[in-house]
Amino acid sequence: MENRPLSPHIQIYKWHISSLVSISHRITGIINFFAITAICIWFVFMLLGETNYELIKKFLQTFFGKFILIGITWSFSFQMLSEIRHLIMDMGYGFDLKITKITGLIVILGSLILTVMIYLIGRGLH
Amino acid sequence: MLVATKKWIFIRISSLILLPLMLWFIINLVNIYDKSYQEIVVFLTANPSKFLIGLFLVFSYFFSALSISEVFEDYINDEKIKNAANKALNLFAIVIPIITIFAIFNLST
Repeated sequence: MENRPLSPHIQIYKWHISSLVSISHRITGIINFFAITAICIWFVFMLLGETNYELIKKFLQTFFGKFILIGITWSFSFQMLSEIRHLIMDMGYGFDLKITKITGLIVILGSLILTVMIYLIGRGLH
Repeated sequence: MLVATKKWIFIRISSLILLPLMLWFIINLVNIYDKSYQEIVVFLTANPSKFLIGLFLVFSYFFSALSISEVFEDYINDEKIKNAANKALNLFAIVIPIITIFAIFNLST
């Protein structure tokens, strides 16, 4: 068990849509883990009161803050669509090479569309 | 049942539960991120928000811990380092949601 081979490192792969979606799924999963942790810290900071919150609010209203928010929205969108693709594949569908390319493209392009939709719906809520 | 099979089933069930929670959470995050302190406190202390955020945090950290341990399994060869990384990850995945849920339940308008 100790000398078992590791997974091939990503730099030796010839890139395909499936491998791009697969590695992006892992990367967005890790990004989401850190993003949710940062959001948790933000929520815990709320306990410290309004004065401390103003510092966080000022940061979130900067261009960089908005960029992070849109980045997290995309990362969540990608993860959700990719997870749906995984669940469909777990049921035994979508293994044909052509179908995997199509579903991979749906995840990539769909995540961008879903990001815009979530942003518009989120900003429209009162 | 094999441990790996159980783990796979837990990952799939938690991902299925997480999908609607992620959508709800990200829409509301986009909505509240630039709101005033009072508006965010009102949102966090509302009963549906408390319940759904709690559920979202528990399942997202549970799912993340299982998924990231797969990444450790694939890319860390040294058993000692892998075990330490997994223990740290599991501890983190338990402590962070507990502290956050506790904080949200102690917020007052």
